[in-house]
Amino acid sequence: MKISAYTLLTLSLFSLQATVLSSFNPIGIRPDFCLVIACLIGFRTGPVSGLIVGFGLGFLQDLFSAGPFGLHTVTKAGVGFLAGVFARNLSNRQPHAAFVPVMACSGLSAMVFLLWSRMGMGWGEMLYGFSYILLPQAVLDGLVAIMANWVFGRWLVEAPGP
Amino acid sequence: MRGRFRPGVFWGSGVKRVGVAVLAIAFVVFALLPQQSQFLFHTVGGPLADLVAIPVRGMATLDRTLREWWMQYIALQGLSQQNHELRETVQQLRGEVNRLREQAHMAERLATMLEFQKETSVRTVAARVIGRSVSNWYQGVILNKGEEDGIEEQMGVMTPAGVVGRIVRTSASTSIVLLTIDPNVAITGMVQRTRDEGMVQGTSQELVLMKYLPPLSSVKTGDTVVTSGLTGGFPRGVLIGEIARVEESEDSLFRTAEIVPAVKFRYLDEVLIVVSPRSPEAMLSLDHALMPPGRQNPTP
Repeated sequence: MKISAYTLLTLSLFSLQATVLSSFNPIGIRPDFCLVIACLIGFRTGPVSGLIVGFGLGFLQDLFSAGPFGLHTVTKAGVGFLAGVFARNLSNRQPHAAFVPVMACSGLSAMVFLLWSRMGMGWGEMLYGFSYILLPQAVLDGLVAIMANWVFGRWLVEAPGP
Repeated sequence: MRGRFRPGVFWGSGVKRVGVAVLAIAFVVFALLPQQSQFLFHTVGGPLADLVAIPVRGMATLDRTLREWWMQYIALQGLSQQNHELRETVQQLRGEVNRLREQAHMAERLATMLEFQKETSVRTVAARVIGRSVSNWYQGVILNKGEEDGIEEQMGVMTPAGVVGRIVRTSASTSIVLLTIDPNVAITGMVQRTRDEGMVQGTSQELVLMKYLPPLSSVKTGDTVVTSGLTGGFPRGVLIGEIARVEESEDSLFRTAEIVPAVKFRYLDEVLIVVSPRSPEAMLSLDHALMPPGRQNPTP
């Protein structure tokens, strides 16, 4: 049941992000809904669930990404796992508590992409990527996470506390 | 307001250790063995991509239907329709004007161009954009044509308005295009008026730069840049864009120009994939014919 739900969630979320939600870029940057959901599942249900869902979502993103194969898989699985570890160490599980973990995970993931895709293109490109893509995306992902946590949080099973 | 962080149980359970180990191994394999991991991902992911393409196509159809419905019935029905038709006409006319200008320019220089007219015909496959890049780091779109339609990696993609990008990944029924505004794309371009060639490359700011222009080039704002046809994927003379600014630097060996792309990437719906541009042999003989008689090298 859980596997079916996660598979359905993964497929529908990826399809939505690649089509309907692709034009949603409020500040010229698209939020990464797949990353947010991977983090939230890790945050609410534990690191292993976060890792598995992150792996699935990342793999789908890799299949339809113009970047190198595997980068989304590794980073999404990593942030799903990390968010779960963060959550185990937090006593506050309110919706807004997801902001910092998701923002940090998004920043970490984006740093991998920044180094991978802009390395060797000069400091100008790196600095621009950091200032105008990485930072705004991390904040945006954090804000989307608060909303998603508030809306969908009740359907996600809480992991046992630390 | 943040939750209180309590260090101390980070490495608590064995599950976490296993998770970290799996991730670390995956990352090391991915980083140290890029070729092998790419092959593995491609082998495993190819059939899966075709399966996943089904809901993506469905969602794209729904998205298109909703957008069309919105445009036609909600937001100013008559004006929207008229605007759409005019935009299509303008795009077609721009492509047509550019093609004719290129032909006229070359015909003025040498009458032999007529002999090569047959060879300028390009075989293309029409494709529809069914999705867009899910990442801010790579500017790409997903097309509904793949290996089953004869699409291969490195093929060029264009619209009647100009160059769109290059195919970087294919599955049986879909393909991924990296757009020209991405920093990882580079194609050879030529300033139509001065015939100066350079490398056209995207930037993170979604601009396109033309690099390595000769220092004495008389290129100026407003000049049109087209594909030179010297590298694979594109025929000669496809519009890339218009020069918006030329960087003046006395220290640099080359000049760089900023180009406004001819294609509006946000509004891409249908594209043409260049399956067969003119052959390299034809290009060499064309260049040989276009060269002034005194500079032609004897053919070995």
